[in-house]
This record gives sequence, C-alpha cells and structure tokens, in this order.
Amino acid sequence: MSQAEIGTVGQMGSAGRRERLRAARLYVVSDDQTPLSGLPQLVAAALEGGADVVQLRRKREEPDELLDVARELAALCHRMGALFVVDDHLELAMRAGADGVHLGQEDTPPEQARARLGPAALIGLSTHTAAQADAARALPVDYISAGPVYATPTKAGRPAVGLGYVTAAATRARVPVVAIGGLERGREAVRAGADMVAVVRAVCSAADPGPAARRLRAEAGAAPRWRWIQVNGEARKSPPGEAVDGLLFRLAVDPAEVVIELDGQILPREGLSLTAVTEGSVLEIVHFVGGG
Amino acid sequence: MGGSDQLELGGVTLGSRLIHGTGKFPSAAILAAAIEASGAEMITLAVRRLHLDGDRRSELEGVELSRYRLLPNTAGATTAEEAVRLAHLARAAGLSEFIKVEVVGHPGSLLPDPIATFEATRRLVAEGFKVLPYASDDVALAFRLAEVGATAVMPGAAPIGSTLGVLNPHNLRLIIAECPVPVIVDAGLGAPSDAARVMEWGAAGVLVNTGIARSADPPAMAGAFGAAVGAGRLAHLAGLAENQDRAGAGFGASSPPVELPPPPSRR
Repeated sequence: MSQAEIGTVGQMGSAGRRERLRAARLYVVSDDQTPLSGLPQLVAAALEGGADVVQLRRKREEPDELLDVARELAALCHRMGALFVVDDHLELAMRAGADGVHLGQEDTPPEQARARLGPAALIGLSTHTAAQADAARALPVDYISAGPVYATPTKAGRPAVGLGYVTAAATRARVPVVAIGGLERGREAVRAGADMVAVVRAVCSAADPGPAARRLRAEAGAAPRWRWIQVNGEARKSPPGEAVDGLLFRLAVDPAEVVIELDGQILPREGLSLTAVTEGSVLEIVHFVGGG
Repeated sequence: MGGSDQLELGGVTLGSRLIHGTGKFPSAAILAAAIEASGAEMITLAVRRLHLDGDRRSELEGVELSRYRLLPNTAGATTAEEAVRLAHLARAAGLSEFIKVEVVGHPGSLLPDPIATFEATRRLVAEGFKVLPYASDDVALAFRLAEVGATAVMPGAAPIGSTLGVLNPHNLRLIIAECPVPVIVDAGLGAPSDAARVMEWGAAGVLVNTGIARSADPPAMAGAFGAAVGAGRLAHLAGLAENQDRAGAGFGASSPPVELPPPPSRR
C-alpha cells in the first residue's frame, strides 16, 4: 500500500473537499455497459459538461482490474476541479488517489471506512428509508444518497422511493443529499430537497454525454434550492420560501414555548411569519429548563 | 410564617425568603412537590437550547410557572457578553424582568468571575433588568455591585452544588451586615441549619437548589428548608443573645444566694 489513508489531493484539503461537495450539482456514476477502456473518454465528456462528482461503480470487474482506470479518472477529475469517489472498494480508492468512497447499506460500515480512510476522505452512504436517513446523522458520512427516486434497471428489484423520500431525507439530513435513480431531469429532485442529482444512464447512455451532462447540471443549478441553515448548532436544510414560523412548525416547536434568535437578533413572536429563512441563517431556539 | 415580614425585591413582595432552585431534581413530579412544600414564591430557571432530536420533555413541565416569580439565570456564561445575551433571551420569553447573573470564572470550582459579573450587572441594570448577581463572598465586590444598581447581591456560601455550607462565616456576616442592598445567600447551602444560620445573621433570603434536589426526600427537605429560613428570620428579628467568653449562671446576680446551713459536725 502506497499510503496509509486518503490524504489531501492537490490544494484540496478535507475542508476544500467538503466545500467542493457543497457546491456540487451534478454527480455522474459510471455504468457497467461502457467498456473499461471507454470510461476515460466518457468521464472527460461528463466533466466537460460540468459534472462535479464522478463515481466509479463497476460490478463486473475485480478491484485490481479497475486500478489503472481509477487512477486515470482521478487525474481527469482533479484536473477539472471535480471530486472522484469509488464505489465500495476502500483499498482501490486509496490506491487510485480518489477523494473518497461511496458505500451501500450492506457495504463496509461507515465507521470502519472512516477509520481506514482517515478524516480527509469523503464518505457517502446510500439511504432508502427515513430510518436510514435518521441513522446516518450519527455516522461519519459526508453526504447521503436518496433513492432510487424512480425505478431503474441499474438497481433492478429495488422499489422506487419517489420524490417524497428525497424531501424526507432533506428534512433529516445534516449533510448534502444526492438524489439518484432513474432521474432524467435536474429540476424536480433539487426542488424536492436534493443538493445535487446523480445519474448513470442519463449521461452514460446518452448519444452525446457532454451536452447531456451540461443540460442536467444547468437544470439542477437553476432549480429552486433548499437552503443550508444552522439550527442550535447543527446544519439543516430549509425549503425555498420558508419563514421562521414554518420552520418551527416543521420541527414541531411551539413558538409560545421558546425564544428564537436569528443571526444574533432575538425575533419577536409576532414577527416569525414575516421573517424569511435565508441561506446561512443561524438560528438558536432556546427555552427554560431547570437550573439553580 | 412571615406574616407582615415580607421580602421586598425589585418592586415585588415575597412571602417566603427561600428562593427555590429547579435543577438536578430526580423527576418533574418531585420538583413540583418540593417547590410546593417549600412555600417558596420565587424559583430559578436556566436558559438552554431546545433539544430538537429525541426527548424534549423538561423537568419544569410539572411546575405552573405563572404561580411563581421567576428568576432566570445566565448559567453557562463565562463572559459578560454571554451573560448579557442569555439575559436578553430570558427576558424575551416575556415572563420576568429579573435575572440572576452567573458568570463562571473557574471551570473546576464554578466560582464566579468577579469582573465579568460586575460588568454584566452594570450593563443589564442599564437596560432595565432587575439584576441579582451571584458573586464571591467579597464585601468590596458586594458594595460595587450595589453601587451599579444590583437589586440584591447573592454571595456564595460555598461552591455551587457542593452543599458544604458556610465556608467563610466572617466574610458572609460582614456582607450581610454592611451591604446596602438585600443580601441573598446563594450556592453551597447543604442543610437547613446552614440556611437558618445565615438568616439569623440577617440575610434577606437564601437560594437553595442542590441541598434540596439531591437529598433523599426532596419535598420533605424543601419543607425543612422553608421552616429553617422562617425560623432563622424570626431569630434575627428577635435579636440573638450575645456570645460570652465565660460561663454565666442561669440566674440573675441580683437574687440573693440561699444561705445553706453549715454541715453537721461529725463527732
């Protein structure tokens, strides 16, 4: 093994990676149909079209067979300022110089992956249920995927969870949410709460992957987006147009029993419905407890 | 108890001179029963972030807050700025103009930072709060706090939660005797006798939390503290007998001694 863990690549430290992930709109996952030798060309086109994250996901080859192409894809991604992650294979990710790994619910547990890969690595986790999204909050993951939104041959046999689950995941997540599964457009999943859309076929099977990626990224980028805010010290997402009273309702908080501070200013109770939650808002919700 | 002897504090009148803390009780029901049994009319509270995930129940849920005068504290503050911010949050709840300024200056002992306590008190008084600073048992500091408008000063008897009782009776008596605003002894009172003792010296009141909350039977102990505070106050009003260095017989010097017959002579 050439390195003990995933380190920093170029100028992108662990903070830089996470910042890059926050800005990502399009996440392209490789397919199994494209021959291995054709992957660099496909990925180059996707990056040219604006892909922010690329995942190498191949179920037919052994990790050793993927090492060369993984290294090539990592170099391509990094040249374009994109992130490169490897599905499932921790050792492959480390040897290829990837930014991290994506894990399914049945793969290596995230804690183990974190211990193996170190703090700088990105770790993504697939989620399919609200319980999994809740559980992910306690796990050392940098993003969760939510899907399959629609039925997809890539995950044959797995029931579609619909856009409703994307919203459920966005409500629960403290990290970016990647919508995946049968998506052909960029808009609806972002509107439902995803931070970015992930596609396999919509780019990999497109007659012209570059323009396909460009269109998806533009749609995802232009869609009404949920905001990242801080509530009681934790990152949370808030749908577009949400006012503070709506946020409290969503959190099942009775405004009469709390005091709200927004960006350091106490909000009068009568003003809650008029005060919009905006990107980066810092909210403190406090109440009286026992004390001496 | 008390009757006409009530505590005037920042424009309100309290029938009991015991201020009841609400932290660290075994359950909400026990807390509510303890307050009830103590006869206290003012209770303390803390301001904390609402726990959004999981259990949101508060130990205060059994307490009808509207029945009491509320004294929110700034526990958790380690600077004057944090104390002021917590005071603002407490006041925004719309339930009280009182604030107990508590600025911890030493993490191990939780003893207050006198300078930050003074600064927070000064600023909050200027904003119209009725400020009761928890302070070290320092007579000069008590004067300074009174001077900037503290409603009362609250010198500690011993570190918060220690229940060690009165560690420095000399300092505490001096503050009680000379401070121009009411002195409410706070922190460290462990037994009802501790409370009675400082009340006998003339303290305007006491604040008790751990001594009740961590006793074997908090409601019964709250009743004991209530009675002790009342007894100590009555004793103070009555005026304690002065201590003497020498023994004094229990009869007056003016009474003539009984002439005893000489012992019968032995033959």
